[in-house]
Amino acid sequence: MIEARSLTKHYGSKVAVDGVDFVVQPGKVTGFLGPNGAGKSTTMRMIVGLDRPTRGTVTVDGRPYREHRAPLREVGVLLDAKAVHTGRTARNHLMALAATHGIPARRVDEVIEITGLQAVARKRVGGFSLGMGQRLGLAAALLGDPGTLVLDEPVNGLDPEGVRWVRLLVRHLASEGRTVLLSSHLMSEMAHTADHIIVIGRGRIIADAPVDDIVARATGTTVRVRSPQADALARALETLGAAVAAREPGLLEVNGLDAPRIGEAAASAGIVLHELTPVRASLEEAYLSLTEGEVEYVTTGADAALAHGEVAR
Amino acid sequence: MSTTAPQALRRARLRFGGVLRSEWIKLRTLRSTVWAYLVTVVIGLGIALLLAVSLQQSVSPSGRGGPPRLPSDLQTHYGALAATSGVSFAQLAIAVLGVLVISGEYSTGMIRSSFAAVPRRLPVLWAKAIVFGVATFVVGLLIMFASYAIAGPVLSAEGISTSLADDGLVRALFGGAGYLALVGLMSLGIGTILRSAAGGIAVSISILLVLPIIGQLIPADWAHDAARYLPSNAGQGLYSIAIQGDDVLEPWQALLVLAAWAAVALAAGAVLITRRDA
Repeated sequence: MIEARSLTKHYGSKVAVDGVDFVVQPGKVTGFLGPNGAGKSTTMRMIVGLDRPTRGTVTVDGRPYREHRAPLREVGVLLDAKAVHTGRTARNHLMALAATHGIPARRVDEVIEITGLQAVARKRVGGFSLGMGQRLGLAAALLGDPGTLVLDEPVNGLDPEGVRWVRLLVRHLASEGRTVLLSSHLMSEMAHTADHIIVIGRGRIIADAPVDDIVARATGTTVRVRSPQADALARALETLGAAVAAREPGLLEVNGLDAPRIGEAAASAGIVLHELTPVRASLEEAYLSLTEGEVEYVTTGADAALAHGEVAR
Repeated sequence: MSTTAPQALRRARLRFGGVLRSEWIKLRTLRSTVWAYLVTVVIGLGIALLLAVSLQQSVSPSGRGGPPRLPSDLQTHYGALAATSGVSFAQLAIAVLGVLVISGEYSTGMIRSSFAAVPRRLPVLWAKAIVFGVATFVVGLLIMFASYAIAGPVLSAEGISTSLADDGLVRALFGGAGYLALVGLMSLGIGTILRSAAGGIAVSISILLVLPIIGQLIPADWAHDAARYLPSNAGQGLYSIAIQGDDVLEPWQALLVLAAWAAVALAAGAVLITRRDA
């Protein structure tokens, strides 16, 4: 379990992480979601003591990471794929890390096998592709068979097969009761992988909830209603406090009322319905609407206009 | 992930002995280390041979079977001079290596892996210092004794004969190795402070080569006195056998001065390493 309390990090006058509180529970995959520069990596670095918090604390299983007797047994961390000396072979890199804890060479060969690095284990890391670097980073994270995994963008640079492999791996690790914190800016990936999502934007927690709740909360419930008497229905629903938008003749999008209540309202007004459909937004849309205004680096011009048009719709 | 070695993993603990082993693996698994030590050995032996040959011509110009033999303390002085003559060149390779041992971790990002495994960080620096210091001392001893073995016969052919039993000779050979190790540790400290290969190497080489020249150029007594405590000048006291007129520190003073340079650089690095974000 990872617990952050009032965790804050300033770099000079820039506030990277702004007093965040969260708990990452064992037995689940927790997605850490946010735009670039939102504070994901900084928070993860503070969890394993690489960055010193300006204020606040973060503990792993009740203690700051540095106070554990066997840190590699406690937390496996993948911060970036290239936290490796390029002049050393993959196996020697893992051997050097394993030696600090007296982890036997057998285990090194085992994680090489788990991550599929057998063919390149004795090659220098300098020549590795991004995907192979990610696999080596994951091998290092698994070295101590840790109870907690902190993985910053683990699927970055992986091919589709690799992405699927990481997804299965982290789901498996969580099913064994481990704590898994996984960051990504790929919403679709999170939808497939995470049970719970923490959304961070500009250093603050925007949302911290199960995946389904995030989707529901961010979009509210939109209900699509088709009726030959759309105008009359719109007036009736608006008196009940709903926001109604007419998309095309005979088609309404209703916010603020759920489907049963819309149906009841139509029945009591004697209005015929042809369709009554709750619309679930995708996680992607949920995320974009949550982080709107929290994005540090805003694209301007046509792309941004297009992206926003899609969300607004 | 299930494992075939659960017991061994359950016993795994972070221990200083493990960090030492880790640093030894890191040192010997980089080609740059191997090359730097090889260059050090080749330069050390080559210079010793060159100097022995040139001493042979300058000190006893009269040639083979020539007349008056040099006084025995002077013979020992020249013997040590030839055997340790490679030190002032070898120190450059060692200084570069000392900086790279730590700056290479910063430039590649390896330092984050190292500190994630050893989050208290200082054991990493101390283990690096011990492993690199001992390795350099051993390589230094190898160079010193091999240089003596090469230079000795060349000199004795010209009547400059020495023996390891001569007063101060073994001390000078050990002193050369100790000098290389301490210069290496100072550079390791400087590399830790600056975290960059270019900056660390520039500062280390400046301290070793440029400051002594500046010390000579300033026409003031204080500058002359201060220059005696620069590493390369202090080193002369450690690995040479002084004869009359030599202005060098006593060997034990030289050892203390060099240890102080290494200790101050490493201590500053240690303070910064625990305070900075990695």
